[in-house]
Amino acid sequence: MNGSDVTISRVGKSFGSFAALDDVSLDIRKGEFFSLLGPSGCGKTTLLRILGGFEVPDEGTVAIDGVDVVGLSADKRRTNTVFQSYALFPHLSIFENVAFPLRLRKVPPKVLSSRVKDYLALVQLEAHADKMPAQLSGGQKQRVAIARALINEPSVLLLDEPLSALDAKLRQHMLVELDSIHDKVGITFIYVTHDQGEALSVSDRIAVMNQGKVLQVGPPHEIYEDPATDFVARFIGETNLFRGAVVRSEGLLATVAIPEVGEVLVTTDDPVPAGSSVSFAVRPEKIRIAAQKPAAARKDLNVVKGAVDEPIYSGFQTKFYVRTEKGVTFKVFKQHADYSDKGPEIKWRQEVFLSWSAEDGTLVEVARP
Amino acid sequence: MSDETLLAERRNGAPLRAKTGRSGLESRQRHAKARAASSFSGFAYWATIVFFFMPLVVLLVASFDKEKGGEWSGFSFIWYVKLFTESGELWRAFGNSALIAFASALTATVLGTLAAIGVTWYKFPFRGYVRTLNFLPMILPEIVIGISLLVFFAGVGLKLGLVSIYIAHATFNLPFVFLMVSARLDEFDYSVIEAARDLGASEFQTLMKVIVPMSMPGIASGFLTAVTLSLEDFVITFFVTGPGATTLPLFVYSAIRFGVSPVINALSVVMVAGTVALILPLRNYLKYIAAK
Amino acid sequence: MTARPTKGGALYALPNALWLTFFFLAPLLIIVAYSFMKKGLYGGVENEFSLRAYALLANAGIVKVAFRTLLVALAATALTILIALPVGYNMARSKNQTLKLFLVIVPFWTNFLIRIYAWIAILGNEGTINGFLRSVGLISDPIHLMYNQGAVILVLVYMYLPYAVLPLFSTMDKFDFILLDAARDLGAGKLESIVKVMLPNVRSGLVTAVLFTFIPIFGAYAVPLLVGGKDGYMLGNVIADQVMKVRDWPFASSISMVVTFVSTIGVLLFLARQKRPGVSKEQAAALAAEAAVAAGGGR
Repeated sequence: MNGSDVTISRVGKSFGSFAALDDVSLDIRKGEFFSLLGPSGCGKTTLLRILGGFEVPDEGTVAIDGVDVVGLSADKRRTNTVFQSYALFPHLSIFENVAFPLRLRKVPPKVLSSRVKDYLALVQLEAHADKMPAQLSGGQKQRVAIARALINEPSVLLLDEPLSALDAKLRQHMLVELDSIHDKVGITFIYVTHDQGEALSVSDRIAVMNQGKVLQVGPPHEIYEDPATDFVARFIGETNLFRGAVVRSEGLLATVAIPEVGEVLVTTDDPVPAGSSVSFAVRPEKIRIAAQKPAAARKDLNVVKGAVDEPIYSGFQTKFYVRTEKGVTFKVFKQHADYSDKGPEIKWRQEVFLSWSAEDGTLVEVARP
Repeated sequence: MSDETLLAERRNGAPLRAKTGRSGLESRQRHAKARAASSFSGFAYWATIVFFFMPLVVLLVASFDKEKGGEWSGFSFIWYVKLFTESGELWRAFGNSALIAFASALTATVLGTLAAIGVTWYKFPFRGYVRTLNFLPMILPEIVIGISLLVFFAGVGLKLGLVSIYIAHATFNLPFVFLMVSARLDEFDYSVIEAARDLGASEFQTLMKVIVPMSMPGIASGFLTAVTLSLEDFVITFFVTGPGATTLPLFVYSAIRFGVSPVINALSVVMVAGTVALILPLRNYLKYIAAK
Repeated sequence: MTARPTKGGALYALPNALWLTFFFLAPLLIIVAYSFMKKGLYGGVENEFSLRAYALLANAGIVKVAFRTLLVALAATALTILIALPVGYNMARSKNQTLKLFLVIVPFWTNFLIRIYAWIAILGNEGTINGFLRSVGLISDPIHLMYNQGAVILVLVYMYLPYAVLPLFSTMDKFDFILLDAARDLGAGKLESIVKVMLPNVRSGLVTAVLFTFIPIFGAYAVPLLVGGKDGYMLGNVIADQVMKVRDWPFASSISMVVTFVSTIGVLLFLARQKRPGVSKEQAAALAAEAAVAAGGGR
C-alpha cells in the first residue's frame, strides 16, 4: 500500500454563526502518522469529516496527492474512516462487516474471503469472524472497525477519537497496536484526539487546534518543549506559566520580570530585546525541589522559595504544589528514580527551595516592543 | 493476494479529478451542489404534508362558500350559522358520540389498567391468555369485529342501540389502554413496589399511592386514545347500531350517502379547530408529566 | 422485569379477561361456528353442519372481488411504504422533529369519515378539481375521477400513510446515522448505503408499517363503499352486504374467516420478527400504541 500526502489550504467551515474552522492550512506528508489535537469543539472532527467527504468546506481546498477532492463524496475518495463509535453494522457479522466494501465492488468470493481473513488476522480477530458486533468487547469492535477501514486499501486512514470509548489500560494497548499497524501498512494516518498523551506517544507530527484555528504544527517533542502559544503550553502536559516582561537581554540569555515570582533567567533561541512582553513557562518535572537552598554553583540557576501546600504521592513520582512567598503556586513533579528514593521525604507545610536552570524554561508568545 | 488488481480497480473506478487551484466561483458552486444533494427526502416530506392538508384546505374554503358545488360563489357564514342553529339532529349525534366515548374510554381505562398491572407484576395461570386477548383485537380487521359483535348481540338478544355501541367501543379500546399502561409500567423496577410495601403500605395503598400515580402518563394517554378511537369509529358502530342511536360518524355517513349539506364542511372545520384546541394543551400536559 | 408470584395478580386481570372473552372471543368463535352452518330461512342459521358457506367462496364473483381486494391492498401498501420511507427518514434526521411530527398528525385529528368526504369533495363531479377545470374552460362535462380503483387506492394511501410514517420514523429515529457515513466511506453510493445498511436496521419499523397498512386496507369497508362504488367493492363490502342485505350469515362468516386468515398470516410474520434480537415485544407494543394515538384512530 502507498500513502498519500494531503494538502489542506485555507479551509473554512461554519455551522450557522459558529465558525468550526477558520482559515486552516496543513501539509500532511505521505505515510505520516499525523494527529489533530485539541479540546472538544476545536474543529478537529469537522476537519476530519471534510477530509473523509462527509462535510463540504465553505471555502478552501483539500487535495490528496495534489488532486482537489472538495465536492467528491466519501465513497469516491481513497480515504477511509475509523469512527469514534466504531459504526459497525449491527445486522452484519464481523466477517460481513469487513467484507462490506468488497461486496460493494463485487469482488469474487474466493478473493473476498481470503482478503477478509488477511485483514481479520492483521487485527487478530480471525476467531471471531462469525460473531455479531453486539457480542464483541469495545476493544474488539475497535479492531473490526480498523480492519474494515483498511480493507479498501485507502491511501489515507482517518481515525476519529478511536480510543475514547475504551478504558485506560486498553487504550494504552490499542495505541501500541495502532502504531504497529501503521508501520505495517505504511499509509498516511490522520488521527483526531483530545488526549495529548495519545497524540504525543504515537504521532510523527501533531497539529494543535483551538477554536477552529491551527495553533502549532510540529513533532511531539517540539510541541511539548517549545509551545507556540499559552494555550498550547497549558493544553499539552502540565506547566507553570506566568506573564512577564523582558527587562535585560544578553545575547541568548534573557531576564524576565514576573510580578508574582520575581526575576527569572531563561535562554532563548533568538535574542529577545528588553521591553518584550512574554509568557514564561517551565514544566513541573524540570524543577528540582529541595529542603536546603542549592549552592549557587551556576549563575543561570533560578531559585524560588516556598512552602509545600500539598504533596500527592502516586508511586513513580510525587506531585508537589508549592506556594511561594508571593502567593503563587508552582507544580513540581519529583520522580522516584532510585531504589533509595521511596517517597516524599519532604512533608506538608515544609519550607522548600525550587530551582531550575535557564535552559529549562521557555518563552511563549513573545511580543517585541 | 491480488492487491495490485484491486488497487488498480479502485483507481480506475475513481472519477476524473481536476487539479487544484480552481477559481473561487467554481469552487463555491461545487460546495453548494454537494450540500443540496440531500434534499430529496425534504421534498418528499413537504409534498406529503401538502397532500395531508389539501383535503382540509378544501373543506375550509368550501365551508365559507355561499353555495354548494365545486366553483366559488362568494363568501358566507351561512353554513356556520346553520350548523349552530338548525342542526338539532347533528348535535344529538354529537351528544351520543361524546357519551359513548366517555363511558367506553372509562371502562377500557379501568379494566385495561388493572390488567396491565396484573400482567406486568404478577404471575398467574391465565397470564398468557390475557396478553393474547389484549393483542388480537388490534390486529383483526374491524369489519370482522363488527360482524361478530352484531351476530353475538343478535344471539344473546341484546337490543341494538347505545348500549351495544358502548360495549363494542369498550371492547376495541381495551387493548390500546392495556398496551400503553404496560409500556409505562415496564419502565419501572419492581423494587419500587417492594419499597412501598417495606415502608408499610398495604397492597391497596401501594396500588393507589404508588402504582397508579407513577403510571399516570400511560393511563392518561390510554384514556385519550380510547376517547379518540371511540369518537372516530365508523365501521364497528355501523354494524352494532340500532334505530335512533346515531353517532357523529354515522350522521356524517348518512349525510354523504343521502345528499351532502355544506353544513358538514363547517362542522369539519369546527371539529379540527376544536380538536387542536383541546388536544394541544393536553399533549403538553402529558409531556410535562412524562418529563417529571 | 420478571413477574412475582402473588395471589392478587389474577384478580387484577380478571375483569379484563372476562370482558374480552365475552365480547371479543365469544363473538369470534360464534362466527367460526356459523361459517360451518346452514343459512336460516329468514336470516340467522340452522343448527346443522355444512360446508356450503365455504363452497360459495369458489363463486366467480367472490374470487374476483378477493383478487381485486388483494391487488388494491398490495398496491396501496406498496405506495404507502414508498412514500413513508423518505418521509420518515426526513423526520428522523430533522432538527424540528416535534413540528414535523405535529404536521403529520394534525390532519388525522379530523374525523375518519370527514376525511373521506373531503376527498369526495375534491374528486366528485361537482368537486374542486372538476370545478376548477370547468371555470378555466378546459372541460364542459365533468371527468369521472371517482368510483374507480385509482380513487380507492389514492384515498386508502391518504388514510393509512401516517400508520406507515410513524413506526418508520420512530425506528429510524433510533438508527445511528453514522452508519450511513460509514457505508459511504467504504464505497457505497447514497442509495446503496440506505438499502444495504439502513433498511436492514429499521426492519422492525418496516414490518410494523407494512402490517399497520396492509391489514386494515385488506379489511377496508368505508373507503371502497364511498369512493369506489360497485366496481370498487372489496371483501369488506361483500361481507357487509351478506349480513345486512342478503342476510346470509354463514357466507358472511366464511368470507370473514378468509379476511381473518390473511390478516393472521401477517400477524404471525410480525410475531416471528419479534423473536429476533433487537426488537422486543415492548417496543412493538409501544409502536402499536404510538401509531394508534398519532393516527387519532383512522381505523
